[in-house]
Amino acid sequence: MKFIMNYLRKETWSPYVAGILLGIVGILAVWLSNALLGASGAFENLAGMIGKFAFPKVFDNMYFNYIMPPGITYGVILLIGVFFGGMIGAATSKTLKWGKKDSSNDDAQWKRIFGPQTWKRWVLGFLGAIILEYAAGIAGGCTSGLAISGGMLLVPAAFLFIGGMFMSGILTALIIYRRRY
Amino acid sequence: MSTSAIALILGLAFGFALNKAGLTKYHKIVNQFRFTDMSVLKFMMTALVVAMIGLFGLRGLGLVTFPTVPATYIVGNLAGGLLFGVGMALTGY
Repeated sequence: MKFIMNYLRKETWSPYVAGILLGIVGILAVWLSNALLGASGAFENLAGMIGKFAFPKVFDNMYFNYIMPPGITYGVILLIGVFFGGMIGAATSKTLKWGKKDSSNDDAQWKRIFGPQTWKRWVLGFLGAIILEYAAGIAGGCTSGLAISGGMLLVPAAFLFIGGMFMSGILTALIIYRRRY
Repeated sequence: MSTSAIALILGLAFGFALNKAGLTKYHKIVNQFRFTDMSVLKFMMTALVVAMIGLFGLRGLGLVTFPTVPATYIVGNLAGGLLFGVGMALTGY
């Protein structure tokens, strides 16, 4: 028991143990609610809701009417859970930095590569996230929604996606890091 | 239990696992692409294998029916993946 409590307080688990936990979550999602895990779809549901309210004409298209209908879906609730689950995880290892100094940019490696300015990280994060979300829209899912949920059902799309993701990810990292790669 | 409660609890566990694996950190994601830290692959592949065994086992026993699976459209999946990797290496998502 003490061993388990101590392990819960550790900051970084063995990725194998955390992976087993995610695998079980994936099984339970299908078993209990016949749904798949995902993250990017939830953002699209929320964006669709805001868009339908603010610009009903622009958002009245095939994509937001049929493929990604707006609303508080299963994925949105799951995403809220992910947010607080991450916070609980950080709180148990006492690494939760809510409201503390450097809380918006504390990654030493990031600072070494791009510089210490916080605004840079926010801008880069925002631009990168646009690319991510758009790409997830094209592919039909993100790392969790397509690669993991699709992969565990042995869907070919998931493995194509993982292949593409690694190809361009390695290339991008090569360009950013150059000699430091 | 209602579907929303299940979604919330599963989400909590999902976020917890991601945090404990360290995947909420920028350097873990980028270092995967630099092959100096393999935790992303270890985490993903372990989750995949566990879930595959569990799900196909349960289906074999007739306990679950699979939901509609993500569609396969080769060009789209591959193009999306190629673009996704750029964003992933930039932001560390």
